Amino acid sequence: FFVSVTPGLLALLLIVLEWTRPGLPSPLRPICDLRVLNHFIKEARDAEVAMKSCREGCSLSESVTVPQTRVEFDVWEKKTALEQAQEVQSGLWLLQQALNLLRTSVTNTALQSHIDNSIRNLLSINGVLRSLNIQEYTPPASAAGLEGTWRVSSATDLLQVHVNFLRGKVRLLLLDAQACQQDVS
Amino acid sequence: MICHHPSRLLALYVIFCAMQTPSIVQGARDFEKKVSMMLKEEPENPKCFAEGRKDFTCFWEEDEERAGSVDQYSFTYTYQNENSSRCPLRTVPAAGGKRLFICHLNRTQMFVQMDIQVHREGVLIHNRSLLIELVFLLNPPANVTVSSTGQQGQLNVSWVPPPLKYMDDSMMYEVSYSAADNHVGQVEVARASSELILRGLQPGTKYKVRVRVKLDGISYNGYWSAWSEPEFMETLPAELDLLIMSLTLIISFVLIGLSLAMLLSHRRFLVNKIWPTIPTPDSKFQGLFTVYGGDFKEWLGHTNGGLWLTPAFYDSEEFPSRLEVLSELSLCPTPGGSVLTDRWRATPHDHWLMDRLRALHQNPVPSSQSSLLESQDAYVTLNANNRSEDEHLDDILEEALPLEVLFASRKKALCESHSDLGSVQQSSGSGRLSSQSSFEYPNHIWMPKGPGYTYMAVADSGVSMDYSPMSRVDDIGKVAIYANEYKNDIPAHRRPFLLRQHPVHDDS
Repeated sequence: FFVSVTPGLLALLLIVLEWTRPGLPSPLRPICDLRVLNHFIKEARDAEVAMKSCREGCSLSESVTVPQTRVEFDVWEKKTALEQAQEVQSGLWLLQQALNLLRTSVTNTALQSHIDNSIRNLLSINGVLRSLNIQEYTPPASAAGLEGTWRVSSATDLLQVHVNFLRGKVRLLLLDAQACQQDVS
Repeated sequence: MICHHPSRLLALYVIFCAMQTPSIVQGARDFEKKVSMMLKEEPENPKCFAEGRKDFTCFWEEDEERAGSVDQYSFTYTYQNENSSRCPLRTVPAAGGKRLFICHLNRTQMFVQMDIQVHREGVLIHNRSLLIELVFLLNPPANVTVSSTGQQGQLNVSWVPPPLKYMDDSMMYEVSYSAADNHVGQVEVARASSELILRGLQPGTKYKVRVRVKLDGISYNGYWSAWSEPEFMETLPAELDLLIMSLTLIISFVLIGLSLAMLLSHRRFLVNKIWPTIPTPDSKFQGLFTVYGGDFKEWLGHTNGGLWLTPAFYDSEEFPSRLEVLSELSLCPTPGGSVLTDRWRATPHDHWLMDRLRALHQNPVPSSQSSLLESQDAYVTLNANNRSEDEHLDDILEEALPLEVLFASRKKALCESHSDLGSVQQSSGSGRLSSQSSFEYPNHIWMPKGPGYTYMAVADSGVSMDYSPMSRVDDIGKVAIYANEYKNDIPAHRRPFLLRQHPVHDDS
């Protein structure tokens, strides 16, 4: 009996079965797993702790512009996805600039490795955002006068801003990302 | 329209308030719990915690005596890069003669540093800097349910996480379970899930389960919540594992079968061990038990002697021969009037016979010994040896009987035995002469008087058989010894002849 069934009929049967399969929630995409971001946050925290215990060769040569990290949930939820994305991406860009400057300023080798890690992580986050179909951010010509920014002059503050930004806005953005919403059919 | 019915409005308001009261009471109770927990856990002042995404509470404690009024204090908080703000304070009495000063905020900013300052009459008494998302103190999980998973030693615990958006995956839970009678409990941790299966529990035991929650500390952080209300559940009772039970049954059946097979194959051996057969001599004596019912004498009479009789004792070719009594000689006193006793009277004819015998004895005929032995005409003198009254007769007899059988038996029996020639049964006074050849020779009566006196049994066949215990070896050659089986019936009224002349001797 099984031999007699034509391959075409079998293929059709399989297609129909696949299509009418009881809907299970599709597993979350690996990129949506926040454990990656958690890892970045942990490393950023390690850098902050290392900075606190640093005595010499760990100062910022000049003040840098950093994004605002505060999140008021009511306000945040009122923003559109685009606004949120813009806010996060501009902040990430600012942080990259600041960390690059810090990297050149710091002479402590241990701290330098932490800063290198953080810079790499920021680039990875950019890649994650890109894969989530979040609109590409075009950086402005100059950081001065950007909304939602402020200037820091100490390395400690910079790294703290870095950690807070990752924990707050970046995470909220990834949580809310449309591509990462589980669709239950 | 509502204004037209103020009473109705008032009634509705009162009902609404009444409905809200339980939740308010519950909220107040929760707050008290949190305050007490914070007082224990947080060393810094003021103690601050966030209950949700927007709520934020700070408080500090002061002794009742030293506390001033609320107006004396000011609570100032400043977010980074922002201007400071003031928080309205309220005061409540606390246990142990203390007073609490509480600041509550309904709007908070997270992920940004907050600086707090408390002044009392312009003097800074408390100073603190914190991030609000790192001081969460949540309510314990609600709707904790414990159910059985259907398997041995397992329980399924589920709960409802605190309703905080964006923070579900940052929550960490601790499930504490212990047997109801046991105070020592175990703790299981669950991350970012709302249920947990407890394994390795004892079957048939009641367990107490409670849950508490905390933020995991990566993005958010805080303090452990209070334990939820304990839930009790009993695990499934212990049951025999089906596989183990079936394997045990199969193995036991196999063992029983093997032992039965062994028993059956060796049953004869085992039966012989438990009930040993009692040996019987049936096999050696054919017909002894089956035909004669165990009567050995009967069986001897009808068989040719069996296996154990040797020819030296008995000649199987022996035939019984007739013995004709020629005359009877009564030698012992007859008891008066005894019918059973045949009397032997010494008749003149008898005395003549005795003389003839005497003569015969004195003239031995050696040449004809062998012929005597082989002769079919053997005669025998059977005498009763009565010592006390017939001693003279004894002398006569003993002298006159070197050759013949000298038969002596018991006193009483001798009288009877004249007619009963050698019967074993002593009660043979009836006159019937029936005897076997088993003569009895009581030794105390028998006294050998000299050489040449022997005792012999007569056999017609000529084959000699010595019954006498006192026979002399040197006499065997001279004396004719016969074995005899005598069977004869002679009526009582007749006097049997005892002797008969031997024609050989007469001729000589």
